[in-house]
Amino acid sequence: MTKALPVLETERLRLEPPSLAILDAEKRFWASDRATFAGGRMTGPQVWRYLALQRGHWDLLGYGMFSVVEKQSGAPVGLIGLWGPEPWPEPELAYNIYEGSSGKGYAEEAARAVMGWNFGALGRERLISVIHPDNLPSQRLAARLGGAPTGEQFTPNPDADPVDIWRYCAPEGRS
Amino acid sequence: MSVSIPVLETQRLILRGPEPGDYPDFKATFSSYRSRFMGGPLNAYEAWMLYAAEIGHWDIRGFGMWMIHDRESDRTLGMAGGWFPAKWPERELAWIIWPEVAGRGIALEATHACRKHFYETLGWDGAVSYVDPKNLDSIRLAERLGAKRDLEAASVDGHDLCYRHPSPAALRSGQISDGIEMEIANYIDPLFTPKGMPVD
Repeated sequence: MTKALPVLETERLRLEPPSLAILDAEKRFWASDRATFAGGRMTGPQVWRYLALQRGHWDLLGYGMFSVVEKQSGAPVGLIGLWGPEPWPEPELAYNIYEGSSGKGYAEEAARAVMGWNFGALGRERLISVIHPDNLPSQRLAARLGGAPTGEQFTPNPDADPVDIWRYCAPEGRS
Repeated sequence: MSVSIPVLETQRLILRGPEPGDYPDFKATFSSYRSRFMGGPLNAYEAWMLYAAEIGHWDIRGFGMWMIHDRESDRTLGMAGGWFPAKWPERELAWIIWPEVAGRGIALEATHACRKHFYETLGWDGAVSYVDPKNLDSIRLAERLGAKRDLEAASVDGHDLCYRHPSPAALRSGQISDGIEMEIANYIDPLFTPKGMPVD
């Protein structure tokens, strides 16, 4: 567990491995309506475990979610990255944006950095997002990023609704 | 990850950090009835999330649950170590042994080594174990480790029992440790082995 985790940078944002530094921001997210399409609300102790498992996700799979912070202020913006726990069919581009950080183009900016990392440094050739059929803002972002619904669905958790699988195209020059 | 997980060795066991390849064994027990006192049985999604959280716990707290391996075969036998997620009143010494290898004193040998590491290397001044009142095997193990029911202490959810482990000083004084070590020795090389078939 000694390998260094990657840090990505964009013009306005820094993407770093999640830590307890964002515990309060995550607690607010998971106590709000924004949690509805991300798996449902969670209590404080559940959010602590969620952050712990984010670290374990990196360790088990070699990729994971990044904590996105505003470079200038250091303010947390959200959690964006590659998410692929069991029983996901393949790793997905996932994004949870905190209240007050939407509408600035941050999600798209960070998501493009993650896509570049996925198709670049990680050398992966595929990328999906799994999106709840009612989550229109998320679908709009996926479409802006070049994604399209595949018509397939999957059920992440037996207790949850089935979600739509969207797929992004690899950049030109890759199959 | 920022912490490297120490390896603990005992006579029969090697305790290492949980690794990706150990996950199927973890999932097998946590999706079975065996895990009913540890929040289970879990579905695939929940089991994976818990396993990732066990690993992240090491990273956040600097200690956590080890995977117990048989020294000879290297197969996994269960997990033991420290557990202190949010909402836990105190640092816990915790364990789970895969059902097919229960009854061989593995949990005793593993937890005894973990507790020693926490006391002597990490400088803990004590530890507790939170046990479901119906989990008689774990209550018995807590007692064999010298832990005593603490009626004053807070529990995790108001339902579980808090067992308080002997302090580092009490453990050093000999009698409890000697008893544990004698019991472990007896598992390894029984003082009494029946010769031939019993006739009655």
